[in-house]
Amino acid sequence: MTETFVIVGAGLAGGGAAATLREEGFDGRVVLIGAELQPPYERPPLSKEYLRGESPFEQAIFQPRDFYAENGIETRFGVRVTGIDAAEKVIELDNGESVPYKALLVATGGQNRRIPIPGIDLEGIYGLRTVADSDRIRAEISPGRKAVVVGMGFIGSEVAASLRQLGVEVTVVDRNTVPLRRVLGEEVGRVVEGIHRDHGTELIFEDKVAAFEGAERVERITTQRGHRIECDFVVVGLGVEPVTDMLAGTGVEIDNGVVVDEYCRTGVEGIYAAGDVANHYHPVFKRHIRVEHWQNALKQGPAAARNMLGENEPYDEIPWFWSDQYEHNLQYAGFHTEWDELVVRGSTEERSFVAFYRKDGRVLAAVAINRGRDLRRSIPLIKTQEEIATVKLCDLDVDLRTLTGAASLR
Amino acid sequence: MAEFAAVSRAGDLGEGEMRAFEVRGTKIAVANVGGAFHAFDDTCTHVGCSLAEGDLEETTVICPCHGSEFDVTSGAVLQGPAREPVATYETRVEGDNLEVKG
Repeated sequence: MTETFVIVGAGLAGGGAAATLREEGFDGRVVLIGAELQPPYERPPLSKEYLRGESPFEQAIFQPRDFYAENGIETRFGVRVTGIDAAEKVIELDNGESVPYKALLVATGGQNRRIPIPGIDLEGIYGLRTVADSDRIRAEISPGRKAVVVGMGFIGSEVAASLRQLGVEVTVVDRNTVPLRRVLGEEVGRVVEGIHRDHGTELIFEDKVAAFEGAERVERITTQRGHRIECDFVVVGLGVEPVTDMLAGTGVEIDNGVVVDEYCRTGVEGIYAAGDVANHYHPVFKRHIRVEHWQNALKQGPAAARNMLGENEPYDEIPWFWSDQYEHNLQYAGFHTEWDELVVRGSTEERSFVAFYRKDGRVLAAVAINRGRDLRRSIPLIKTQEEIATVKLCDLDVDLRTLTGAASLR
Repeated sequence: MAEFAAVSRAGDLGEGEMRAFEVRGTKIAVANVGGAFHAFDDTCTHVGCSLAEGDLEETTVICPCHGSEFDVTSGAVLQGPAREPVATYETRVEGDNLEVKG
């Protein structure tokens, strides 16, 4: 009997997994189910080039539109899962279909966190996750209009930059002291703050939105510390939560996403997870991590697919992402939640540096602003988790590629 | 009509090195892979970063900004996010001069 592999979630992880199953020679049935109407596409341009009207949606599409049919991949776009019977191995869809599966990949990604702030349902208030969201924000953009951006994480920071680049007056409200503080810390966050201030973005820190006000459309926001900001529209970027509800009752462990081992397997036979939704055991960091970035979706989906085919390949890619803001290129590699030392190579004043987050002498992660070559050369240092002398990390004459493995002993 | 233009002394670009030159208004990168010179557009087709500021690993150039990888011998994309290949150009060594046809 023909084996069926079902993939729920038609983003980059799901689309990549489907393609990989065929590349690896799987000749059974592949069913790719996605809640959005579009085929899998890349989300990074939605807050940058696509939002600014510089690149068309077709450039963000992951595989050509006819790729799936040509490769015998059945697609169900605009379709949601209503239930999973993990004992019988059958998945139920809201189009009335039941699909029996041998293996199931959960790649459902995330949804924007909704915070219960008064007035949040007024018109003119947007989150950003999908191309439809990006289109709605695009329609609001014109020079001289006033926007409030709530939350200065990566999405908030990138949207604020794109809006400023198109001449929108932007005020940002963030509960922390600097942008991106939760991930990058105070010192690096201050550099990002300076970049935004230089471009004329109004920044309000250590404050939260108290209410969105307006008749039908949002007209202003008020903050807990008494600011009152008139605006034409609002973009809220307060983080993402993993979409796991369809797994209720399956026995799959849910804890900050779908808990999987280094092979992308859940504890339930035949069910796997990858991409933003997966809280994955990472062999380098020796803990579970959940990564909401492009490269993880791009690489982890295919890795999960290979494991569905029985290849027993641990997924140990070092997480890496970029964030372009104005003319500046920020990149991050590794994974850290705490550190005891921040080692800076280059100059934060000149906005050309790599900062290494170290704990117990080991580099857990690195962030670079306008120093991408050094950032990429840092990835092996993170992967090997060797202790490396601070003086070598900071010396601009030392090629970071020489600091790992046998080369570092010289 | 493209013609060869001298961009550098051939000996100034060592093996494993890569550098960008302006040839009639276009920034063209030249990589020396094992003594062979490969010329290609320096401007990444993704968002326009300078590829010569990235890394060269054998015949692969890696964009410093977003990690796109191109084959310097053909211009083909080996790894996204870039979708479009970079243009490549003929090179030759005339006497001491490294020349690019651009």
